[in-house]
Amino acid sequence: MEEYNSGDEVLFNADEASVSVKECIEGVIGGTDYNQNKVNQWTASIVEHSLTHLVKQGRSFKYIVNCTIMQKSGAGLHTANSCYWDTATDGSCTVRWENRTMYCVVSVFAVAVA
Amino acid sequence: MDEYQEEETAFAVEEVSKIIKESVESAIGGNAYQHSRVHQWTTTVVEQCLSQLSKLGKPFKYIVTCVIMQKNGAGLQTSSACFWDNTTDGSCAVRWENKSMYCIVSVYGLAI
Repeated sequence: MEEYNSGDEVLFNADEASVSVKECIEGVIGGTDYNQNKVNQWTASIVEHSLTHLVKQGRSFKYIVNCTIMQKSGAGLHTANSCYWDTATDGSCTVRWENRTMYCVVSVFAVAVA
Repeated sequence: MDEYQEEETAFAVEEVSKIIKESVESAIGGNAYQHSRVHQWTTTVVEQCLSQLSKLGKPFKYIVTCVIMQKNGAGLQTSSACFWDNTTDGSCAVRWENKSMYCIVSVYGLAI
């Protein structure tokens, strides 16, 4: 009887998180060009806003939000991540965004709290 | 009496940092940036780190991320924010470089 709780509340919803993160990115750097002086402010804003949105959902998760911004200059960039967790309840989502002058990659990891 | 175990279950930043450095050195130490191999390298670095971390046998879930960037004058900035339990969870980031590339590895440990 107690297990009737719908699975959605306990599973990480990657699609919802992805939409929320895209909005945060657009809100902070949409329409701007790469600017070395502002980039650390931008990454900090993006991670803070994304984290705030996620926490507001009120689910019982711990979150890690990671944001990388790279200037477009022909250099190669490669990222990888690997997780040791409970695959039934934990999850992640990665959003890639770009404009004319920069790439932005945001990863969200959600780990269920017991 | 039970609290004596806290030292064993807190996130051990120095130990993790050592594990990361060794994994990076063994995977890419002495290599020059090569577009065709970098995918293999990032995968090797994260897998080696993760397997060494799980061998520690501590009650943690781990997330390991690795970024490799060619040295070309481009700017790169990364930030992360975490919503967790400050008393038990932790993270560690290691920056490594050689003549042709940068490698940044972050490990996040969340207590179970």
